[in-house]
Amino acid sequence: MDRREFLKFTAIAGLGLSVTGTDRFFSSAEASDKIDLAVAHGASPSMITRAAIDAVGGMKKFVSKGDIVVVKPNIAFDRLPEHAATTNPEVVTVVVQMCYEAGAKKVKVFDRTVNDARRCYVQSGIADAAKAAGADVSYIDERKFKEININGGALKSWPLYTEVLEADKVINIPIAKHHSLAGLTMAMKNWMGVMGGRRNSVHQRLDESLVDLALVIKPALTVLDAVRILTANGPQGGDLKDVKKLDTVIAGIDQVAVDSYGATLFGMKGSDLGYVRLGDKMGLGVMDLSKLKIKKINV
Amino acid sequence: MQNLRRLSQGIFLLIFLFLFVQTESKGNDALGYPVKIFLDFDPLILTTTLLSAHAAAKAFYLSIALIVVTLLLGRVFCGWACPLGTLNNLMGALKKARPGEKTRNWRRAKYYVLIFVLVSSSFTLQLVGIMDPLSLLIRSLSLSIYPLFNYGVRAFFDALYDLNIQGLVDMSESLYSLLKKSVLSFQQPLYKQSVFIGFLFFGIMALNLLERRFWCRYLCPLGALLGILSRYSLLKRTVSEGCNSCGACAPVCQGNASPDRKEEWRDAECFYCWNCDDVCPQNAVSFGFTQRKVTAAMDLGRRRVITSALSGLVAVPLLKSIPLSKSGFSDPALIRPPGSLEEKEFLKRCVKCGECMKVCITNGLQPTLLEAGLEGIWSPVLVPRMGYCEYRCTLCGQVCPTGAIKKLDLKEKMKVKIGLAMIDKGRCLPYAHATPCIVCEEVCPTPKKAIWFEEARVKDREGKEKVMKQPRVDLELCIGCGICETDCPVVGQPAIYVISVGESRSKENQILLQ
Repeated sequence: MDRREFLKFTAIAGLGLSVTGTDRFFSSAEASDKIDLAVAHGASPSMITRAAIDAVGGMKKFVSKGDIVVVKPNIAFDRLPEHAATTNPEVVTVVVQMCYEAGAKKVKVFDRTVNDARRCYVQSGIADAAKAAGADVSYIDERKFKEININGGALKSWPLYTEVLEADKVINIPIAKHHSLAGLTMAMKNWMGVMGGRRNSVHQRLDESLVDLALVIKPALTVLDAVRILTANGPQGGDLKDVKKLDTVIAGIDQVAVDSYGATLFGMKGSDLGYVRLGDKMGLGVMDLSKLKIKKINV
Repeated sequence: MQNLRRLSQGIFLLIFLFLFVQTESKGNDALGYPVKIFLDFDPLILTTTLLSAHAAAKAFYLSIALIVVTLLLGRVFCGWACPLGTLNNLMGALKKARPGEKTRNWRRAKYYVLIFVLVSSSFTLQLVGIMDPLSLLIRSLSLSIYPLFNYGVRAFFDALYDLNIQGLVDMSESLYSLLKKSVLSFQQPLYKQSVFIGFLFFGIMALNLLERRFWCRYLCPLGALLGILSRYSLLKRTVSEGCNSCGACAPVCQGNASPDRKEEWRDAECFYCWNCDDVCPQNAVSFGFTQRKVTAAMDLGRRRVITSALSGLVAVPLLKSIPLSKSGFSDPALIRPPGSLEEKEFLKRCVKCGECMKVCITNGLQPTLLEAGLEGIWSPVLVPRMGYCEYRCTLCGQVCPTGAIKKLDLKEKMKVKIGLAMIDKGRCLPYAHATPCIVCEEVCPTPKKAIWFEEARVKDREGKEKVMKQPRVDLELCIGCGICETDCPVVGQPAIYVISVGESRSKENQILLQ
């Protein structure tokens, strides 16, 4: 069963359940299977990350024994964690830990940064956090980009990072931020961090490019960090007044759904974001939150 | 003694190279190693900076230490410690010794160079860095030799990687990553004039084939300064009655100090390498502390001294009477690193060592050719198409040996303007081509972005109306870091570019009413 079939199946199953209203027929494990999005809220970033992932089925559902897993945070800028320009290091730590708990052989963490990579890795706190959890943290090696056929609306082919393409599982852990062109940058836009080449030209057709990217990069799980969100002057920020503390983490399989929900954190709707609309239209995921089974958890 | 000396030379060279390689960001705000310490020990740089800028580096006492050592032991620095001297020494080993070969009598030349730089620096012209051996070595390594080394090693391992032979690649890659962690730079450094600066360096090395230690004997101004001090040193050479004038010491003398001429031994030229003592078959040579003066006069020649002093004097107006000295006129491309002093003061201090360019995290700091006049050759200029000024980085100010670039704390640094960004509407995609692009705004690092948008309704070729976000620069907020220019997708001539106008250090190079 591929992901699209799975989504269709869960949607139909969910619909069936809501009609019959027979939740009690399912064991709790199966009940968590049909959660599309888990939204965990609480003071501890690591506890809510764990709770959100557990609520969508637990890491064992996404990572198998012996897997090589790529965990892709947003490390794009030379900013401190409190600036909310890069993924919360505690979130990174927990995701890496949970991959190993699920039996992963190796967890790799990297990002093609915008600012100097050394500063981004160190100042964001992510390199230290991921290393402490046992991850293999590496800088981007230009030789590992390979031209990949995409055949999308905007991107015909593009050099992508082979370590992502060759991994057994890929987990996306973006942070939710303002972005002047995309509107917001969250899950789908985070994959620009594995693009090689002249990615600064992608902005000329950004929404289509992001959807094209989602055609070839299929994360097993997406964990959106909204512990702190950046509400203006993104995606880099720098002014603490633009940072809002939400103490929230969202987990889901469907990136379009995650981004659609993420928009609501900013008082927007998924349909306000071009790439979410397009992703929904292309059948990559579900934008309409009313069609999703969303579980809210307080930790 | 020879082995002891070689050990000392080796240790100093290794320390020097280690600190050189450490002159690189690891992602933290500070470097963790005193990478400029060799320059702090340099009394020539101390002297000329005192003369030109009436200021001294914070760690100037280290160069006092070298002066004291020289007054005690003579020019031991040249023979036992100087990394450039050691490299010359090594190169000299490639020269075949021919018996009976005559050495040149050019030793005076370096004193004339010294007089030239001392006089010109007394009148604010700081040219010492061009020929100061430590400055020259750091510059040559930073801008040319190290990039060459990196390029070569990288090309080699890339070629192995591309061969894609299982087993071999695993081995080569693990060796490569070891090298990356130790001696290679984080990214391939690239500098303007690397070929030119490299040629000069290789030229100096090649002079050893003409005559061993050619540079140290005949050209080095620091050697000249230490030589003069050396005349008053306590450690002197004496030759006992046992000398039968066999002449065995002359060809092994590193400094061409006429050791075979007993009383005519030139103490200012001696590197205290001890070769004459080691080689003497009669064991007649010894070094010891004495007050007795038994040496040849320096004999520089009054006319020549006056000529070199006059040249130093004339060079000042010659190099300074250029359009750049006109009030309010400045080269828009001359974007100085953050924390740089006002241009005149900057030039009085900068010794062109290239440390700031070596440490620059984005490779954006490049050596000037004539942008700052001949006076400012090889001083640092930001070339944003090569690399921008990282917003939260203060490394260039941390490594500057003379304070030409002030050491700024992070808060100060983030406020310093080094220039202003200007938009070329004829090239900018949303202006000229009705194509969306926001890259300059996206990467703009100021907390409130200096680049903002005006939404404009434009028509494309088919007459279809589009809303374009057209970037504008807020000149109050822009700090001129240049990341917009670095990342502008309009390659070649960028659609947004930085000029030095608006730089905090200048009162006159301004646009806005202040």
